[in-house]
Amino acid sequence: MAEPKTLGQMLEARGISRRAFLKYTSYLASSMALGSVAAKAMAENLASARRQSVIWLSFQECTGCTESFTRSVSPTLEELIFDFISLDYHHTLQAASGEAAEEARHIAMRENKGKYVVVVDGSIPTKLDGAYSTIAGISNLQMLEETVKDAAAVIAVGTCAAYGGIPAAAPNPTGAVGVDQLVTDKAIINIPGCPPIPEAMTGTISYILSFGKLPELDHLKRPIAYFGDNIHDRCYRRPFYERGLFAKSFDDEGARKGWCLYEVGCKGPITYNACATLKWNGGISFPIQSGHGCLGCSEPNFWDKGGFYKPLPAPIRDIGKVAAGAAVAGAAAGVVSAAVGRAKKKSAMKEGKS
Amino acid sequence: MTDLLDFARGPALQFSLAVFVFGVVWRLVSLLFMPRLKDKSVKRSGAKPALIAAVAEFFRRMLPKPEFAKRTRFTTINGWVFHVGLTIIILAFAPHVLFFKSLTGLTWPALPNIVIFAVGGVTVVSLILALSHRLSSPVLKLISTLDDYVTWIVTITPVLTGLAAASHVGLRYETLLAIHILSICALFVWFPFGKLMHGFLVFLTRGEMGAQLNRRGIEL
Amino acid sequence: MNLIDNTPSALTGVNDSLLSEIADRLGEFAQTGQSASIDLRSLPMSDADREDLKERLGHGEVMVKLDVAGLSEIWETSFAGVWWIRHFGGDDQIAAEEINIVSVPDILHAHQADARAAASRLSKIIQEERHHG
Repeated sequence: MAEPKTLGQMLEARGISRRAFLKYTSYLASSMALGSVAAKAMAENLASARRQSVIWLSFQECTGCTESFTRSVSPTLEELIFDFISLDYHHTLQAASGEAAEEARHIAMRENKGKYVVVVDGSIPTKLDGAYSTIAGISNLQMLEETVKDAAAVIAVGTCAAYGGIPAAAPNPTGAVGVDQLVTDKAIINIPGCPPIPEAMTGTISYILSFGKLPELDHLKRPIAYFGDNIHDRCYRRPFYERGLFAKSFDDEGARKGWCLYEVGCKGPITYNACATLKWNGGISFPIQSGHGCLGCSEPNFWDKGGFYKPLPAPIRDIGKVAAGAAVAGAAAGVVSAAVGRAKKKSAMKEGKS
Repeated sequence: MTDLLDFARGPALQFSLAVFVFGVVWRLVSLLFMPRLKDKSVKRSGAKPALIAAVAEFFRRMLPKPEFAKRTRFTTINGWVFHVGLTIIILAFAPHVLFFKSLTGLTWPALPNIVIFAVGGVTVVSLILALSHRLSSPVLKLISTLDDYVTWIVTITPVLTGLAAASHVGLRYETLLAIHILSICALFVWFPFGKLMHGFLVFLTRGEMGAQLNRRGIEL
Repeated sequence: MNLIDNTPSALTGVNDSLLSEIADRLGEFAQTGQSASIDLRSLPMSDADREDLKERLGHGEVMVKLDVAGLSEIWETSFAGVWWIRHFGGDDQIAAEEINIVSVPDILHAHQADARAAASRLSKIIQEERHHG
């Protein structure tokens, strides 16, 4: 077999110039706040890299992550990612089906042993030995184990693959968990979000390709380049927060004037993602700009944080009933203490008289 | 998998508020039903109705008598500063208004953050002055108990953690917010059993004192 | 469709510090040749800020249009060595936008690899023409 071509040689044959590489990496470096020096290095490295084999496993998911990933494909700049990777297995996108599809996965695993990257979207059910979700006759649990064994790295895409996501919402009937609770001996990158920002996915993959290492990660294994900033800190509505100008409902004066959405439940202050800077759909807008508070979708357990419309300072458990119970108990205890006091006084008076 | 903030906003707040309500109601009820000696003396002529005397005494004690004004100037002014400061921070900071709204359904306008920051800074300084006064005055130091110091700590901690959380300094915001809420939980738990209970008892003690003095014809 | 744009349209004042940053970097470049770049997309700029900065920097002698993986526009501002680089992605959305302080932006140089490919293509064409001719 001839030495596989570098990406530079491969794309050169298709008339794609090094300028295109540089433009692509400028775009990525900007999204990762790396600067133009890094962009140049990235372009050079990318051109001499080999095409990366990627096996994409979809488990308990809604295909929203794949939708987002393919939205990074307008027929120009952003589609270059599909030239850089060889998507060897992906249920939804591949033409083959059934045994042919599974065969493609096995071939990719064999031929790129120890070098391929596994992308997972969707959580993995663990109850009943994983019987809640099966593909090609094996459970997701088995497929993950088998595929990850010889992988170079695992990228958990979306909040489900990263932290269990919606399927893991209380009471978590299927025992859904994220990848890093099952895979402990591989490099794992989490790119959460519901769905994740397309640039966060393509940028991370390109980073690995061009630098041959993982980007810097935070304590939740998220690339700091995309998840290092707090939405609230980067929000263009922040000045309204500081001035105490809030929308009180979604149709009031404040909402129309674009004031801060903190009071209608925005989770921006506890959410780390690039929505406020990169935005969505090619930089057009993001939820807060469209008038809705941040749901905190890139954080673990975002669906179980007491409600999307409950403001952050509000307690997430029912206080009223407990407080009422405590008041009744307190009153009862008070009456008892007073009665004890009265009884003592009475007996003291008696003793005094006798 | 639950994080510190979920714990603080969930079980911690629920438990501490329950302790707070239980403790406050317990102490108030037991106090009100406490056996009392009947005042068998004849009411002085010209004495005001008991309720009016009680309310009047409550307000009268907000300022010292002129002859003591100079000697108590520091405690009076400093006491006023941190009490008013705490009140403004607690009631007029937007997230706090939301907290009370979620508990009671009542809401009111908030002040801009910059004002709250300024008031918070002044309050912290005032609380520190209060402690240093307590430590530097031999008499005060002698009569101070553990209760005084614990009360001071559970009072200043929420202010400090709140300032840190609101200005996003030190740790990540969600951690700061969680620590802030937990510090308030500590305050709630301590409140009914320590000197913070004066927040409720001050009305009873001053009122009772006023009514009794009035009945005996003592003019202050 | 008439979407309500909530983006504050007012100037935020970011340009004042941005301009002095550009001045510092340009001064350094003039003295030492040290190039620099400032990523505009990652700054919290409003649309009004962007227009204002464009106006204040102005247009200089060079204006380039690139047709590479979509369009790109590069122009030298009225200050020599200060370049405005704007890359478009799909749907004509701005994918990257930066200020470069350099003699010529990197992307304008023909890469050796591209030149090699071009050389072999050209010689192939000549050969074929000779062959047919």
